[in-house]
Amino acid sequence: MESFLTIALALFLAPLFPGIILKVKAFFAGKKGPPLFIKYYTLAKLLRKGSVYSTSTTFVFKLGPLVSCAGAIMILLFFPLAGVTPLLAFHGDVIVLFYILGIGRFFTIAAALDTASPFQGMGAAREAFFGTLAEASIFAVLVLFYRMTGALSFTDYFTGTTPISLAGTGGALLLLAIVALFMVLLTENSRVPVDDPATHLELTMIHEVMVLDHSGPDLALIELGSFYKLFFYSAFIFLIIFPIDASLGFLRIPLFFGGIALVYVAIGLVESGMARFKMNLVPKFVLTSLALVFFAAILTMEFIK
Amino acid sequence: MNIFLLSLAIVVAGGAIPLFTHRKMMLTKWVYLATTLIGCITGLLALFSSVESLGEMAWSWSWLHAFTLAFSCDHLSFFFLLPIFIICPLAAIYSFSYFDKTENSLRMAVSFFCTNILIASMALVTMAANILAFALVWEIMSLSSYVLVMYDYEKAITRTAGYLYFLFAQVGALLIFAAFGVIFSHTGSMSFDQFATVPAEAKLVVFFLAFLGFGSKAGVLPLHIWLPHAHPAAPSHISAIMSGVMIKMGIYGIFRVYVSLGSTELVIGQAVLVFGMVSGVLGVLYALGKHNLKRLLAYHSVENIGIILMGAGIGMIGVSHDNVVMAGFGFAGSLLHVLNHSIFKSLLFFGAGAVIKETGTGHVDQMGGLMKRMPVTGRTFLVGSVSISGLPPFNGFISEFLIYFAAFQGLAYTNVTMILAILAIISLAVIGGLASFCFTKVVGIVFLGEARTALAEEASEGNWFLTLPMGILAGACLVIGLFPGNFINLAFWGLSELIPSGQVDKAAIGTIGANLALASRLFLFIFIVLVFVRKLLYRSKVVSQGPTWGCGFTRPTARIQYTGTSYARSVVNFFRPFAMVRETEVRLEKIFPGRTVYEARVDDIAEVGIHRGVALPLLTLLGKFRWIQHGNVQLYIGYIIVTISILLLVSFI
Repeated sequence: MESFLTIALALFLAPLFPGIILKVKAFFAGKKGPPLFIKYYTLAKLLRKGSVYSTSTTFVFKLGPLVSCAGAIMILLFFPLAGVTPLLAFHGDVIVLFYILGIGRFFTIAAALDTASPFQGMGAAREAFFGTLAEASIFAVLVLFYRMTGALSFTDYFTGTTPISLAGTGGALLLLAIVALFMVLLTENSRVPVDDPATHLELTMIHEVMVLDHSGPDLALIELGSFYKLFFYSAFIFLIIFPIDASLGFLRIPLFFGGIALVYVAIGLVESGMARFKMNLVPKFVLTSLALVFFAAILTMEFIK
Repeated sequence: MNIFLLSLAIVVAGGAIPLFTHRKMMLTKWVYLATTLIGCITGLLALFSSVESLGEMAWSWSWLHAFTLAFSCDHLSFFFLLPIFIICPLAAIYSFSYFDKTENSLRMAVSFFCTNILIASMALVTMAANILAFALVWEIMSLSSYVLVMYDYEKAITRTAGYLYFLFAQVGALLIFAAFGVIFSHTGSMSFDQFATVPAEAKLVVFFLAFLGFGSKAGVLPLHIWLPHAHPAAPSHISAIMSGVMIKMGIYGIFRVYVSLGSTELVIGQAVLVFGMVSGVLGVLYALGKHNLKRLLAYHSVENIGIILMGAGIGMIGVSHDNVVMAGFGFAGSLLHVLNHSIFKSLLFFGAGAVIKETGTGHVDQMGGLMKRMPVTGRTFLVGSVSISGLPPFNGFISEFLIYFAAFQGLAYTNVTMILAILAIISLAVIGGLASFCFTKVVGIVFLGEARTALAEEASEGNWFLTLPMGILAGACLVIGLFPGNFINLAFWGLSELIPSGQVDKAAIGTIGANLALASRLFLFIFIVLVFVRKLLYRSKVVSQGPTWGCGFTRPTARIQYTGTSYARSVVNFFRPFAMVRETEVRLEKIFPGRTVYEARVDDIAEVGIHRGVALPLLTLLGKFRWIQHGNVQLYIGYIIVTISILLLVSFI
């Protein structure tokens, strides 16, 4: 019952949080910033419109938003939101879910290449490259978590018998994992310093430019998918830093959503404090996260006998 | 057993008939197609009817009254017979439409004959139980496939490819026979059952010789060099058979030698795993750098053989550590990937063949927009691409999941095994990412966007002989992905001999199968729900068509699209030391730039290395002995007299 409540809340509230990032950035710029519910207004606006399709495109163009949104929804179904046992879980589900995010990426890239535009091609090439490196980091994180808990399921990581916690054995290694996962979050969700969602200069973009030709409800589905994906990564990082105990009862839900808001504030701080990297520095950025987690995984040889 | 031999006889006869009736081309093609289909289906029926009593499928012949050839079937042979009898009839259907020029009818008949000899010899390779029988059918397999590769023998590039293939096939056979020789010197017997009695140090030598020999056939880096040359040169259905089925015979050989030797040395599994990782990563990297459609598919075969070897290596390490779960899932993932790869690789080669036939070019950068013009080919190729990238809900993911599962088991150990397991997991992730990179490139540049040349604009869909095999294989990819349980059980059944110390708990296997099925079906369900939601959202909306937005650029052409080279460029440059990129330097010399030519090539480091490190020094050394071959017949007779006198002296002293 609680599982249904949390997933419904997550699906409904996910568009609220990117507004927090915009408010933080506006605060640092001395501006008032857009209203907190801006993403809801954007979705409503897009759903009211029709679409213009390019004559170069085929059915693959329409598949892109569907597959990426389906993937993002599916991964939330398996995640222990607010420390509540999720609707579905099985041993090995983490591998399946990250590969489902992978098929979302495949069809987003294919949809971009369908438009016969060099801008989309550019974004697609960059996205494919950085996405591959980010996958390597994520699997290194899974290796680290397996060494620490012997589990391959989101439920077992956070609500199982030996959950991941900074206070447990090898807890110090989690600091490296948190930093690395934050870097992967910035890469996978097109945040500064990897990609700037605010400007619309196609030559400098990755994700923004891949969805340039989508419009109307298609674009709404893409935006929704990206909200859910960012929500998932933030929840993942938050639960590692602060595992929510089952004994807190009903307080878990406000605590969880409040904590995620703090993660979004952190993203906003990073976006306000840094500029976007030159494109050739981004692989080094992503590989740094891989190096950190790999190092942590090797260190488990000492911490966990 | 009799039915099985009958099916092989039908297949061989079906190949021989075209040699006599080739002048009537349509009749020949129909007769060939009918006999090959009947033969292969009979073979499948024979296999499935004797599932319970495989031990009875054994026979031996006496050859030349001095040698016995023994054949037998066990679970491993059964499993490897499946791709042969599934893919080859589909290739026969495909070839009906592929060979359509009447002036080439004799060549087509020879090709049909050699194809069927290849099918029969591959089936016998999996059944051979005796060194002599194995060597005989292995050589027949290599020679028949050489003739098949040389179909377009007028082109110099085909002759080079054939020559290279022949060379590597014979070098591989040399290494295999060396391994057999070492065994024979210790056991004195030809039978595979006696391999286990070889002393332990000799087992390592035998395994590595056999691994290199079979690896050359399978396409393991660095002995894979013939693959990227032979596959583009051969006709497409032959490439499909070679890549989908024949290279798996190399994998079968490795498994058979491993089972027969029964060695549990850790170093064997570690070496196989390392070779697998290197082949996987470098194979997909070179596939990214190449822009000839069939050559890049050939490199993807190298990559998938790498994944298969990684699974096998993890399985072998599991056997050494006596960890039944790790061994079971490693081998199961490896075997299931053998089956899956044969399905989607054949699918991709059929699609590539159809595309190349229609557009007349093999170069990816000259195609484009083919999805609109060849809808069935495009859709099935898309399914094959998603499968080969190992993405759910298709079949490639199922076997990769099993290998991940086994690799995670390896993390529980310390030192070298743990490091290798970490590297295996990360390299599988990188291989998967790079494979989807490469296939988004292929699908995006070949099928999507706008046609880049006039050739691509005039392409059209082939007839049902070309599209039916592709449709069947695409359906198979989806079915295995949605109903993985049965196929996982099949893979575990097939590996019964590989794990001597027992079987994995059936309930554990069942749970994994059920979970994967749940995940695939759930994803498909969410996707279908979203499709309906989208239909609802678009119900009363205005939808219009227009040109792609070009940021204010008002004269777009098809040439402003991204090409394969540009798409893959950043990643290939990232892997610079391994991917040797050679680019022409474009320099502006005058005030107004004139016409300039740009060329970029990615060279295979193994090919360059073997060329510079082995072939050239060997040729210079042997060139110093050229003076022996002077051409003077009298002196050649003198050589013979001198040799005979020395031999007579030696034998009488």
